[in-house]
Formats: sequence, structure tokens, C-alpha cells
Amino acid sequence: MTTLTAPAPAPRAHLTRWLLRLHRPTLYVWAGLVLAAAVLLLLLRGPLADAAADAWRQYDSCTDWRRCTYDQNAILRYKDWYSYATLAVAAVPFLTAAWAGGAFGKELESGTAKLAWTQSSTPVRWLAVRLAVPAAAVAAGTALLVWLHHLAWATANDRIDTAKQWYDVWTFHTNGPTLPALALCGLAAGALTGLLSRRTLPALGLGLLLTGAVWTATQLLLPRLWPTRTSTGKAFFALPNSSWTVRTGKHAEVPYGDYHPASHYWPLQLTTTALLLAVTALLTLGCFLALRRLTGKTTAG
Amino acid sequence: MTDTAIAASALGKRFGRRGGWALRDCAFRLPAGRVCAVVGPNGAGKSTLLALAAGLLGATEGELTVLGTTPAKARPRVGYVAQDKPLYPQLTVAETLRMGADLNPGRWDAAAAERIVAAGDLDPKSRIRTLSGGQRTRVALALALGKQPELLLLDEPMADLDPLARHELMGVLMVQAAQHGTTIAMSSHVVAELEDSCDHLLLIGGGRVRLAGEIDDLLAAHTRVAAEAGTDLAPHTVVDSRTTGRQLSALVRPAGPLPAGWHTGAPTLEELVLAHLRNPEAPALTAVEATV
Repeated sequence: MTTLTAPAPAPRAHLTRWLLRLHRPTLYVWAGLVLAAAVLLLLLRGPLADAAADAWRQYDSCTDWRRCTYDQNAILRYKDWYSYATLAVAAVPFLTAAWAGGAFGKELESGTAKLAWTQSSTPVRWLAVRLAVPAAAVAAGTALLVWLHHLAWATANDRIDTAKQWYDVWTFHTNGPTLPALALCGLAAGALTGLLSRRTLPALGLGLLLTGAVWTATQLLLPRLWPTRTSTGKAFFALPNSSWTVRTGKHAEVPYGDYHPASHYWPLQLTTTALLLAVTALLTLGCFLALRRLTGKTTAG
Repeated sequence: MTDTAIAASALGKRFGRRGGWALRDCAFRLPAGRVCAVVGPNGAGKSTLLALAAGLLGATEGELTVLGTTPAKARPRVGYVAQDKPLYPQLTVAETLRMGADLNPGRWDAAAAERIVAAGDLDPKSRIRTLSGGQRTRVALALALGKQPELLLLDEPMADLDPLARHELMGVLMVQAAQHGTTIAMSSHVVAELEDSCDHLLLIGGGRVRLAGEIDDLLAAHTRVAAEAGTDLAPHTVVDSRTTGRQLSALVRPAGPLPAGWHTGAPTLEELVLAHLRNPEAPALTAVEATV
């Protein structure tokens, strides 16, 4: 054995390449899912919305009901497919959490994590790559989907009478950056439950549960994340449909309501996104602490 | 380059804050270039010790030096094969070795890894999930040896192998040790399995090091004696003694010349190990004392 140690730093290990190889099926499923949802959203934005809008125009301009015909199927088709698309996009954070929990739990349960940790790079780098690469894929995919969803929603908004309002629970998230943030949160939650439980199925379930809890808490906090406006009496009843009333009551026999006007969409999106990213950062920190608990101070170095 | 592969002092590992100690007060030194048997009953702490040396666990107390540095810094120079031989089931044999090359840049010896796999008549295109236990062990060993480690840690490497595969793989290890001077530490709860191949012994019982040193030195430091029942064995250190009828048989560490009236003999390694495991109160003997 030689005693010479090369002064140049050792070439870096190709961890990313092997992470992609190990999870190739998942990558294909993810790409397929994004592609299918993107196509559906483009159809919703184009032909499906046009057909439904035409039908609504016929319906709304109808004066004599004995003679009117309108394409009811087009309206229903649009409504159904819009719901499917929204639910598909909204499910991504939960799918991500389940995948991350399962993947991390399995690596620790089967011992392949130990195999990875006894190659030449550190456990910290192992974890960093295993968080960063899926995060990039999830962020890119969800960003594309929410952008397309927003386009599809915007094109229908004033043409289709049954179109969802901006504050509809699922539409709100699938229209903006809160969804990518929740997906990243799901990734970190799944990774954390995987590292803590070290078993596949419990990690998968707990990851889902944790993400669901974060989502529920966000949902409860959401109306309070930007100051509401208050409207009383007749003005309250005259508020447009696009106003999101979050609280109503009576004050000295005069009804009033606290509401978010449509212009609060972006402030609410951004504060919610910031909140979710902060939770994600905490969960990620938890992942590195859990790794340190597993491997001791030998983690770095 | 250090001449010590592993050195431990006051090393202890406890799992959880209120858990029991898996290892406690361990002190020993494994010189470089040795083939060391880490022996002890199930649950004695062998796996914990090897995992600590591999940088997979952090010590709760004490110090552990591997190849002259911390286990974490020694990581690129240490090969480790866990007891259950974890490998990615979805990869092929060839892919597993390519992964080894990619994850150990600048160190990987592709030819050596492929040679070990080829010697087992393994199709490089077959998936890991289709392999038998012995074949998996072979691939895991190829992955560990392809890294050209200076220290190879093997946790129960032969446990699920048939005698033929066991013999073959032990041969691979011995060649590695002879050609590259690799230090090998392998654990087993079957002493006989390692007796022929190892020149160094680390006996662990109840989370403590009971014996550590060159096997020849350890054997030379002990004598099997037979004497009349009731004989006082002092001042020699008694490891194990039994009286059957009018006969006293014991394993002692002589403190000086033994009386001429005693029948003496050299113990086998198995006798030495069993005597120490039967008597947890017997004082430990570590390399430092044994080589004096």
C-alpha cells in the first residue's frame, strides 16, 4: 500500500445518476402523470371550455323554453373533467408524501441505506441528494400543472356560469404556488417519517397523515393570513360573487360580513406559500437531525 | 499510514437514552494487516462494534480510531458488508458494480470486482432479486472489495452460505488479505468457522471485550491444567475451573512456572473462547497485556 494521498480532491461521486436509476419507474410514472394532466388541462382551456361556454350562452339567451335547445352534455362534461383535473393536481402533494415515506422507509428497512452510507460519500450527502433531486422534479412538475390549471380556470371564469370561484378549496391551491409548496412539504414529511420509523408502510402512512395535518392546519389558517375587509348592511348583500365571505354576523341588528375580495388572491397565495415553505424547512431540518440521530456525529466529515 | 487498523478506548454505545448498553468500556487495538475474528454469542455487541467502525453509528462514549482517523473520515478507505447483505434488488449484477464505481470515484478496481463475481458463475445481467443467498454475498463482497479498502468489516459474512460457498469466499478474502495487506475484521458466533483463517481474535461477551490479541499469543498465555481436587491454583489467574470427582480441571493464565505435579496442556481456541464466555467474571485479556 502506498502512503501517498493525492493532493487534489477526489472526484465527486455520481449520486444523482444512481438515484434516478433506482427510481426510474417512479420518474416515468411522474412524467406520465404530468403529461396526462397537462393534456387534460389544455383540453379544458380550449375545446371543452369553448363548448361549455357556447352552451351557457345558448342557455342564458333563452327566452322561450319550449323552443330552446342547449348542449347540456358540454356543460356537464366540462364540469366533470374540471373536477377530475383539479383533484388530480391537488393529489400530487399527497402522492409525493406517500412516495417519499415509502422510499425512505424502504431504504432504511431493507438496509440499503447502510450500503449507501458505506460507499465513499457521507450520509449527509446521501440525504441531501435524496431530498434535492425529487424536490426539483416535484417543483418543476407541479409548477407546470398549476400554471396550466390557472390558465384553464381563467379562460372559463366569466364565460361559464358554474365555473369555480377563486376561493374554492381545491381550485385555490391548484391555481397557484401553494400547491408546489405543499408538494415540497409532503416530500419532506415523507422523508422525515421514513427516517424516524425506518419501515416502509408505517412511513408511507405517517407521511400521508403528516401532510394531511399540515394541509388541514393551512386550510384553517388560510382566511387569516391576510387582513379581511368588512362590509355591513346593504353593501354586504351587494358584494360580488367573487368575494370570499369568511365570517358573518349581526351587529346591532345590522348584518355584516368579513370577506376577501378577489384582489386578495395573490396576497393570500403568497402568505400561504411562505407558511408552507417555512414548515418544509423545519421538516427538512428534522430530516437531517433524524439522520444525525441514526448515524451519530459520524454523519459529516 | 498507520500500523493500527482499529483502536478503541473506553468505547461505549447505548441505543436510546434509557436503553441498555450494547457495548461498554471497550478497549483494544487491531494492528493493520491482520485477519481478525470478532467472536461472541448472539447479541454480544459484535454488529454494533463493526457498525461503529464503519461510521454507521456514533459512539455514546469513548474513542474509536479507524485507520488513524475518525470512522467518518476513514469512510472511503473502509469496506463494510452488513449481516443481511443489503443490495438494491432492482439493479442487475453489472449495474450494482457500475454503481460501486460511480460512488467510489478514484478508488474503484473494476477488474477485481468483476473477477469475484465471475468466479461465482454469475450472469452480470441477472437482477439482484433473483440471486440466492450465496450469490448475494458474493456480489456484496465484490462491491466492498472493488472499493480497494484498507480495512474490510464483515458482519457474519458466512452465515447463510453452504460449506462450499463458504470455503470459496473465505479463499477470496484470504487472497485479498495476502495480496493487498487488507485488514479484515469479520464476526461470527461460530468459532470453528474462523479458526483456520484468522490470526487475531476479538472476543466480545456481554458488551465487553473479553479477549483481544494475536490468537497464538492468547493461546500461549493460557494453559489447561488437571490436578487433584482441592488444589489451590493461586497465584495463577483462573479463567475456568471444574471439579469432576477427584479431578480438578481448569484453564489458567500462569503467573509463573506451574508445579510439576500438574498435568498441563495447550488449550484449543474453542476451549479458550468457551471458558471465557462461561465465566463472565474472569478478567479480560487484551492485546497490550498479551504481547508483553
